[in-house]
Amino acid sequence: MSEFHHLEPLVRRWSKRCRFSPDDCDAVRALPYTRRTFGKDAYIVREGEHTTDCTLLLRGFAFRQKLLTDGDRQIISFHIPTEFVDLQNGLLGVADHNVQSLNHSEVASIPRGPLMSLADEHPNIRLAMWIDTLIDSSVFREWVVNVGRRDSRARIAHLLCELVLRLERTGACRDGMFDFPLTQEQLADATGLTAVHTNRTLQSLRRDNLIQLSNGILRVVDWEGLREVGDFDELYLHQQV
Amino acid sequence: MRGYQVVEYPLKAFLQDLQEHSPLSSEDEKAFLALPMRLRHLDAGSYLVREGDIPTHCCILVDGYAFRQKVTGHGSRQILSVCIPGDAIDFQNMFLDISDHAVQLLTRSLVVDIPREALQELVLRRPAIGVAVIHSTLIEASILREWVVNVGRRDARARIAHILCEFAVRLEARGLASRGNFELPMTQEQLADATSLTPVHVNRVLKSLQAEGLINRQRRNIQFTDWRALQEVADFSRRYLHLPGEDDVAVAAM
Repeated sequence: MSEFHHLEPLVRRWSKRCRFSPDDCDAVRALPYTRRTFGKDAYIVREGEHTTDCTLLLRGFAFRQKLLTDGDRQIISFHIPTEFVDLQNGLLGVADHNVQSLNHSEVASIPRGPLMSLADEHPNIRLAMWIDTLIDSSVFREWVVNVGRRDSRARIAHLLCELVLRLERTGACRDGMFDFPLTQEQLADATGLTAVHTNRTLQSLRRDNLIQLSNGILRVVDWEGLREVGDFDELYLHQQV
Repeated sequence: MRGYQVVEYPLKAFLQDLQEHSPLSSEDEKAFLALPMRLRHLDAGSYLVREGDIPTHCCILVDGYAFRQKVTGHGSRQILSVCIPGDAIDFQNMFLDISDHAVQLLTRSLVVDIPREALQELVLRRPAIGVAVIHSTLIEASILREWVVNVGRRDARARIAHILCEFAVRLEARGLASRGNFELPMTQEQLADATSLTPVHVNRVLKSLQAEGLINRQRRNIQFTDWRALQEVADFSRRYLHLPGEDDVAVAAM
């Protein structure tokens, strides 16, 4: 029996997208990596550090954030397993934001040298990596709109819709139900709201029977209703690509 | 003089900018300049891409200004970034099948269209060009992250000041402005849509920045009168722009 390879889920995700040859697949499997675990809120990447690795999330959740000088935090995106949390650092020398582990997480740190040579030598892998970063960008654009132009109910509903669709792809969300990993404070920091406002908004989504949230499990009761409140259109996730 | 060069070598400035981060061989450069392309002059307000478009061309802004935008289901517009001369407009559409936002011109502009397939083929065949182009899209992504922070967590004064700082520093890096003196090609309504404020609020903030001696405004001309203080109000650090030649380290003073 061969040992489970930690990069296998990545190979599967990428090869589906870019029609990898067996050689491409083997090249990804041959990447050197170090497994690391992080506790709740631990920093995986810090703004300002010179980057040496790219970090693939194997288990748990992570989020990108930036801190203002006055200490306020804005969360910029969430990441789920089989995604890189900092693929851009393969080319950008210094981290321009922080990445924190949401709860308990496990990652594979891949040194950027071998990762970039891999991209150099294998056009399909280069393309797969590139598309990852392009979809990240598309999500950032949508988040500018979300915090910029939607009201509080729409912001929260939009974020929930995004999580549902992304988690469905990994099988972590079934029948509109998933372990809801976010605290209200994190939810507030992702939507540019206060924690109190976030709490009130969640209550109103529950009252309108769009979602249920109990014992850390979120259930979408009315998907179409939630989408409508969230002004949600999944085009920006580019899930067909 | 700039205008003459632009028409003669429309892609020179773009290539130069790419090479600030990722050096290209002369063969790479030649291959890039040999791409089939079409030059177009377009009026202010023209769309270069619309949300939902299935792209056939990718476009570079040679001269002029543009902005990326999305419109919510309720009809309010959010501007996502401002494109300046030498920017690729929609290189993300090279490998994404549908455009997820629109790009509209702020001023009369000169643009170059390159067929999508020719560009795809080039970046896959020539790794150095691929890396250079990816690098520039990664910096765009970094700017987007900063905009999430700007509209998400900064107050009105900081948002406006931040957008002014960013615009000035980006223009200066391309040699298009000197020391905080530039034309801002945006109306107050457009500034409002970029900062998620109302035009009235934008107007008030601009006036107060001027009253405090941070900027000078004459019509669209903006002059920074106290750069250090303006950066402080804006909570601005240029690290996220990943400008070349700074080893990516934030510079204390200009």
